[in-house]
Amino acid sequence: MLRNLKLQSVMPIIVLVVLVVFFTFLNPNFFSLRNFARIAIAASPFLMVTIGVTFIIIMGSIDLSMEGTVSLTAIAFCFCFLFFGGTLGSGGWIAIPVALLAGAIYGALNGFIHAKLLIPSFMSSLAMGFVGIGAAVLLTGGGIVRIDDDIFRSLLTYRIQGFPLMVYVAILFLIFGIIIQKFTVLGRNLYAIGGAEDLAAASGVPVLRTRVLAFSLAGFYYSLAGVLQVAKLGQAESVTGANLMFLSITAAVVGGVALWGAIGGVFNALIGVLIVAVINNGMVVIGLPDYLQDGVLGVLVIAAVILSTNRSNIRFVK
Amino acid sequence: MKQNFKNLLKSNFNWVTLFALVLFVGFVDPNFWRPSSMLILLGDIVPLFVMALGLTFAIYIGGIDLSAQSMANMITVIASVYLASLGMWIVPACILTGAVLGACSGIITTRFLVPSFISTLAIGMVCYSLAQWLSGNRALYMNAEKRDALFGWMLSSTGIIPNTIFVGAGVFIFVLVIERKFVLGRRLKAVGSAELAAAASGIKVARVKVLAFALSGGLAALAGVIFSIKLSGGAPSIANGFLLPAIVAVLVGGTPLTGGVGGVVNTLVGTMIVAVIRASMLYLEVDATHQQMVFGLILITAIVFTIDRSKLTIVK
Amino acid sequence: MLEFKNISKEFGPVKALSNINFRVEKGEIVGLVGENGAGKSTLMKIIFGAYQADSGTILIDGRQTRFTSPRDAMANGIGMVFQEQSLIGNLSIMENIFLGREHEFRKFGLLNFQKMESAAQQQLSKVGLKVDPRMQTFDLSFAQRQLVELAKVLTLEERTSRDLVILLDEPTSVLSEDEVELLFNLVNNLRSRAAFIFVSHRLDEVISISDRVYVLKDGEMVDEVSAQDADPAKIQSKMVGREIESGYYKQDERETYNEKETILSLKNVSKENSFESVSFDLHQSEVVCLVGTEGSGREAVLRCIFGMNNPDKGQIIYFQNDKIKIRSPFEAVNNGVGYMPRERKIEGIFASMNIAENITSSQMEKYSRYGFLHLTSEQDLARDWVDRLSIKTPSISTDCGRLSGGNQQKVVLAKWRSSGAELMMLDHPTRGLDIGAKQDVYSMIREMSASGVGLIVVPDTFEEAIGLAHTIFVMKDGACVKRFAPDKERVMPIDLVAAMT
Repeated sequence: MLRNLKLQSVMPIIVLVVLVVFFTFLNPNFFSLRNFARIAIAASPFLMVTIGVTFIIIMGSIDLSMEGTVSLTAIAFCFCFLFFGGTLGSGGWIAIPVALLAGAIYGALNGFIHAKLLIPSFMSSLAMGFVGIGAAVLLTGGGIVRIDDDIFRSLLTYRIQGFPLMVYVAILFLIFGIIIQKFTVLGRNLYAIGGAEDLAAASGVPVLRTRVLAFSLAGFYYSLAGVLQVAKLGQAESVTGANLMFLSITAAVVGGVALWGAIGGVFNALIGVLIVAVINNGMVVIGLPDYLQDGVLGVLVIAAVILSTNRSNIRFVK
Repeated sequence: MKQNFKNLLKSNFNWVTLFALVLFVGFVDPNFWRPSSMLILLGDIVPLFVMALGLTFAIYIGGIDLSAQSMANMITVIASVYLASLGMWIVPACILTGAVLGACSGIITTRFLVPSFISTLAIGMVCYSLAQWLSGNRALYMNAEKRDALFGWMLSSTGIIPNTIFVGAGVFIFVLVIERKFVLGRRLKAVGSAELAAAASGIKVARVKVLAFALSGGLAALAGVIFSIKLSGGAPSIANGFLLPAIVAVLVGGTPLTGGVGGVVNTLVGTMIVAVIRASMLYLEVDATHQQMVFGLILITAIVFTIDRSKLTIVK
Repeated sequence: MLEFKNISKEFGPVKALSNINFRVEKGEIVGLVGENGAGKSTLMKIIFGAYQADSGTILIDGRQTRFTSPRDAMANGIGMVFQEQSLIGNLSIMENIFLGREHEFRKFGLLNFQKMESAAQQQLSKVGLKVDPRMQTFDLSFAQRQLVELAKVLTLEERTSRDLVILLDEPTSVLSEDEVELLFNLVNNLRSRAAFIFVSHRLDEVISISDRVYVLKDGEMVDEVSAQDADPAKIQSKMVGREIESGYYKQDERETYNEKETILSLKNVSKENSFESVSFDLHQSEVVCLVGTEGSGREAVLRCIFGMNNPDKGQIIYFQNDKIKIRSPFEAVNNGVGYMPRERKIEGIFASMNIAENITSSQMEKYSRYGFLHLTSEQDLARDWVDRLSIKTPSISTDCGRLSGGNQQKVVLAKWRSSGAELMMLDHPTRGLDIGAKQDVYSMIREMSASGVGLIVVPDTFEEAIGLAHTIFVMKDGACVKRFAPDKERVMPIDLVAAMT
């Protein structure tokens, strides 16, 4: 079984490399700094969401609230930013911690409802996602909130070595996520609960607290994605988070995070995100219409789950 | 005596809720109590009802079907495109498509042990893709003459009863018969209420589950057909906003997420409750996207009160 | 040092433990034996804090204490090495040893793995296990995992000032002889650090390692002997020793079976980690009882015969027809094989369906046409069986979840009887039933046997086996070790115990 796992963790990297080679072969323009930068820009917010949901999946649960949380925090960020003068210099920077805090709180609420009221995570988070989108619409009246600050937009416009600042921000938080996963008690507890929850509880792992913290952490990462989205697009609306649910779970699974928990981690999330981003970008570069993407991804996620499922582990799938 | 009354209340919780809501909304606006307005309300909700009926089967066996909405969307597009060429045959063709795709979700769930929310979500994505591709990502219109000729009757009323209600009633009776009188229905009940005992009785549990998802897909497709006839067209996102109330209808009606109890009659009551809630939000002038939020909150509340905790040893 | 006085525990009307007196001195190894259902696991759960006694006192070093949870017990120095291991496979050894206590290795919020590793090495050296603490736990063998569990329990040394008492629950059932010897040496060497309570069904092992042995029977402590004076035969007789009322098992109704018609034949059937090389035959009208301890593999054999699991090796021949292959319950039912599972509430009965629906659940084709259920004939069937088996129910449409255990069993039996099953397997069929219901089940077994059905029963007690069976097979640690024929010779429970321990 261990050998299987080793192959499993190497497989996604191989897939990524094959994809890059494939697309480059079809169109050499794929393999250029400009294009990689484009991929990185598209991938950055989406990587944050995927890291967030990975923490939840490791624990053996699922979080479907990201669309609502991202939209809501993106809008909260914009409002706060504008409230403080509309520029980073004039105090708008406060909006960043505010948005992140909002995400963390919303995530904690999500986790609490699931863990305390014993609602299966996919239902409670799905409902919270809808609530988030609804709240987003409520706040914007269905419209769009715009940010016009050049300094803030420099996250997108200012490039170092060809890659915009936001990519570096994403990398920073990627590292942060890896540290949490590997070196903190919280990270350890996620794997313990994911591996054998009743045994973990019997050994003194605080399950309720860990659950709420994990969802809060995920919410924090979703709000990061929200802020980055605003940097990318210059605006926020209720559909800012659209499609992220499906994309992030697909990315996590394709990257090697096991749906039933305890296997995989932030690094797998990264590979999975790159795979999805490469596919999306590659399909455009070779001229395929973008609506095929969802279908392709649908097939991909099923294939990924099937190939990675270790059937002897699972007793009941509902 | 008091205990009996309490028990009666508890087991018919959904009817009581419905009754209470109707009273409440009527107080706010007595127009609501007019039979014609209530019937119009019911007529409007028929597509949602059909989708909810399908979802009932998926939820009853302990799963979920998150593809229902995307399926309906795709079918509205297919129906719009092919009505002219297929005429009446469009109905069975669409239902079959839905059933086949639903069966795919079921096979992926049972054979490959993929949790149903992922398999149906993924199939839903495939449907969405197909819908976008077929429609070129824009709204389509049905061939108006064909539609009036074949289905015009659906849009009018017999007396004060909108004809869509007859369609809804027909579908309801069909699934009720399946649930109560057919071997399949009994097997679904067995699998839903005690999957292990069903396996130990020689029932092919996997096959039953696949059929449940096929039913769910087929009914979601039928909902799409009805909806597209009403709108005389289709688009890839037109049925967005169906999924959440449909799930609420099933849950609030009395079929909990854990499955095994409830059924189509419960979903009937649940759908009527959803219809009344919608009506009340209309009166309170809550717009469509906010309604989603309200339904989200109701969903959480419904789950908390209906879930059978004894079936869940560990909640993940 | 650790003393339990007059401990009693009841679960509803069932008295699990009555007035148990039990003590462990510092550095002692105390053995605890008793047959299934004697109360061993209840007593253990009370010792390590998972259950609370209804009455009685617990004294540590003479001072009265109460444990409200396992954590409490651990704080008082009591730890348990579980039979079904409590390690989390995907975590490393060191993470498992310190699970729940990682904060001791935290610096500025981050885990110091170096520190954890050296602390783990220290614990592992206590048990003499030389492995890399960073290894993942599922890579270890059973024996190694057990040592890690022991090392985990020994961390209590650093956590409490009290003397340690360690419970070992069936530690040797999955070990090879060499591994058992290593374990025993280790335990002996650890006497200076902890006292041990050794629970096992292997009497010879218990006697060889313990200083004293306690014998539990029907919830009471019936004997306490020192190991030197321990006589296995005497202990075994104390473990059983109940009178069999004649007629209780309807022995007079036991007819001879047809030795010429073999309806089931197992040849060297094995399933990894469950049972090994099991061979026996079942004949028409014969009642076979499989006797053994928990974990001896009896239930697994039944499930393989029914097709719920599939064996790894060997052959099962049904009705002398080697064309019949049963790999799923569906095939089993189609070929006239029935199964009454142990967990009645989850696997046996459909609680939210009524009697008719339950009885037809395995044979819906017979009561339907073109998929359309024939509800009236179902109801007639139900009424018929309610009559025949005297099933007590408020009405024919009551949900079976509301029926008493005995009546539920009757419904399950009706299901298989009405479908004409010729080979029936019953797993603990009288568990949890009162005397009257038990007798009803025995009558039904006799009736089925008389009408030609072959039955394999996993009984609750030895007396039940002796009373019911034509043939008894004793299973121990996954193998069939001895055969008895109570219909032809006189068999005493003690003979069975001797074969089992």
